[in-house]
Amino acid sequence: MDPQKPEYFRPALIAGTVAGLLSGLPVVSAGNCFCCLWIVGGAAIAAKLLAKQTPAVLRSGDGALVGALTGIVAAVVQAIVSIPFRSFDPEQLQRVMDWLSNLGINVPSNVMDEAARTSSAFSSPGWFLLFLLFSAVMLTVVGAVGGIIGVSLFRKKGLPPAVPPLAPSAPPAAPPGPPDAT
Amino acid sequence: MPISASARSVPKIWFLTLCGAIVWLAAIFLAPWLAGRGAAGAARFVYAVFSPLCHQIADRCFVLDGHPLAVCGRCLGIYAGFAAGLLLYPLVRGFSRISLPPVWLFLLLTVPMALDGVAGILGAWRSPIGLRFATGFAWGTILPFYFVTGVADFFRTRRDRAAALALALPARKK
Repeated sequence: MDPQKPEYFRPALIAGTVAGLLSGLPVVSAGNCFCCLWIVGGAAIAAKLLAKQTPAVLRSGDGALVGALTGIVAAVVQAIVSIPFRSFDPEQLQRVMDWLSNLGINVPSNVMDEAARTSSAFSSPGWFLLFLLFSAVMLTVVGAVGGIIGVSLFRKKGLPPAVPPLAPSAPPAAPPGPPDAT
Repeated sequence: MPISASARSVPKIWFLTLCGAIVWLAAIFLAPWLAGRGAAGAARFVYAVFSPLCHQIADRCFVLDGHPLAVCGRCLGIYAGFAAGLLLYPLVRGFSRISLPPVWLFLLLTVPMALDGVAGILGAWRSPIGLRFATGFAWGTILPFYFVTGVADFFRTRRDRAAALALALPARKK
């Protein structure tokens, strides 16, 4: 195995799982309303984890890949985590919103409408899978952006980039001899 | 002089990203358009697709045909700024350079939106939709300079690694 090649999957799995959890839980997921905070932030954290475990300097392409993987993991985790909350209970959700308001947290006023709409939109598995597909595509793109931003913020400076070295150079060619007499 | 494979890939990535941005923006306007024509089910689906990315509070969204767009004013600004940044990309960066923007520029364009958002969350003030759009637009314009660069560098790195591996294999066999 090439020691210079970064291991992308583990940082993406860790950061994507956390981002997906935060994106899937009701009310907490409102953080994504702030320019996809959980996804972009999660992908940037994945880039930071990747930078820590990779001895060489990361390239922006590494950030794009780890960020995209983070987005995919987050989309899947978010979809799974949100399944129990698809059976919309207005009283329970109102209690949670009241508790957060008492703590001084400004809860978006449309959380109730949003929960009701989402619950009715995905009543069938087919629609849910289609939503998962679109969500994965969108979060992959958003995650890639976050990963690239993360690399620009967190990568090590002053070390050689994480590109494998070229093959050993061939011995120098012998100088051309005198042309054969034809 | 032949153009390297790396240099050829940047315009392709830029063009595909531009097409994707146009489709993304069109989908944002599609939801209220469908709702205005009675296709409530289809509109609900489009709204739901954007729901992981935006709070979709109606009074913070621009309106089309009497229905709110699929994302709020700030998010629309970000996506419109992304499209504008893509249009500026060939003029500002060109297709021969693959480098990320400076961190200070990213922070400079992020701070207005961050201040506006945090002030809103803390209840310090409630900014008008136009200001949300403008701060989101400013942040969105720099994002393509990360995305196109990063994706182009990803494909270039893959090509470089494949070429290095192809060169290394015969040497190892000797």
